Amino acid sequence: VSKRKIVATRAALTLTPSAVNRIRLLLEDRPEYIGLKVGVKTRGCNGLTYTLDYTKEKHKSDEEVLQDGVRVFIEKKAQLTLLGTEMDFVETKLTSEFIFNNPNIKGTCGCGESFSV
Amino acid sequence: RLATFGGTHQVPRVPQTPRSPQTTALRRFSSTSAQENLDVPPPSEDKIHLTESCVKRLEEILERGEYLRIHVEGGGCSGFQYKFSVVDDKTNEDRVFEKRGVSVIVDPDSLEFVKGATVDYTNELIRSSFQVLRNPQADHGCSCGSSFSIKL
Repeated sequence: VSKRKIVATRAALTLTPSAVNRIRLLLEDRPEYIGLKVGVKTRGCNGLTYTLDYTKEKHKSDEEVLQDGVRVFIEKKAQLTLLGTEMDFVETKLTSEFIFNNPNIKGTCGCGESFSV
Repeated sequence: RLATFGGTHQVPRVPQTPRSPQTTALRRFSSTSAQENLDVPPPSEDKIHLTESCVKRLEEILERGEYLRIHVEGGGCSGFQYKFSVVDDKTNEDRVFEKRGVSVIVDPDSLEFVKGATVDYTNELIRSSFQVLRNPQADHGCSCGSSFSIKL
C-alpha cells in the first residue's frame, strides 16, 4: 500500500474567459512582453491594493499561471494573498477593469480597489 | 457597494502640507484682489471642466439624447463619493457642461460639491474609468479617487 499522500492543489490564480481575451488582446499589440504581472502594494484605505503591469521576464520567485495560452505572473509578495483568486475583466460604458474575486479578503473599501486580508 | 471595514482599516490622514493654509489664504485674497492667478480657476466658478480623454470617451459611448450624469452622495470611506451614470432623463434643474456635442450633467445639489473640478477618463492597464480630478471642494480622499471629504 502506497503511503503517498495526495495533496489538494489549486491554481494560484484562475482567469475568466473575458480576462483571457483581454490579456491576449493586450499582448498581441506588444510582442516584447511575455505576460502580465500581478502584485499587491500597501495603499488605499483598507491596507492593500492590486497592481498590474506588463512584464518582459519571469522573476525567479514569481509564480507562473499559464491558462489558455496567456501568461500571468504573481509576485512573491502577492502569492499568499492571491491564492485561489479569480481574475475577471468587466467592461461597461463607464469603466473597464480587471476585477479580482479573492476568497481571502476580510474587508474591502467601498470603491472596491482597496482590501485587507 | 457596501463598505465593510476590517480590523486593519486606517483612517486616511490629512496630509499636513504647508501648502494648504497658503492656498486657503490665496483663495481669500483672490476673491478681492484683481490680480488673480489665471492657472487656477477661482473657487466661486461653478463650472465642470472636461479633459480631452473624457470628451473622447463620451463621444464613443453616448448615444443621441444621452448624458453622463455626475452625482455626489454620502458614502465611501471618506464621507462622500462620486457616482457616474449614463442617463437620458435630463431635468430643467440640471446644469449642462457641453464640449464638442457631448454633455456632462450635474444636479444643483451635487454641483455644490464638484464645482471647479475636472472630469477625466483615465486609461490604465488595470482599470479605465471616469474620475473627478482636482476638486477644489475636496479635502482629501481615498486613493481610488471615488470617495472624498469636503473642506470646511
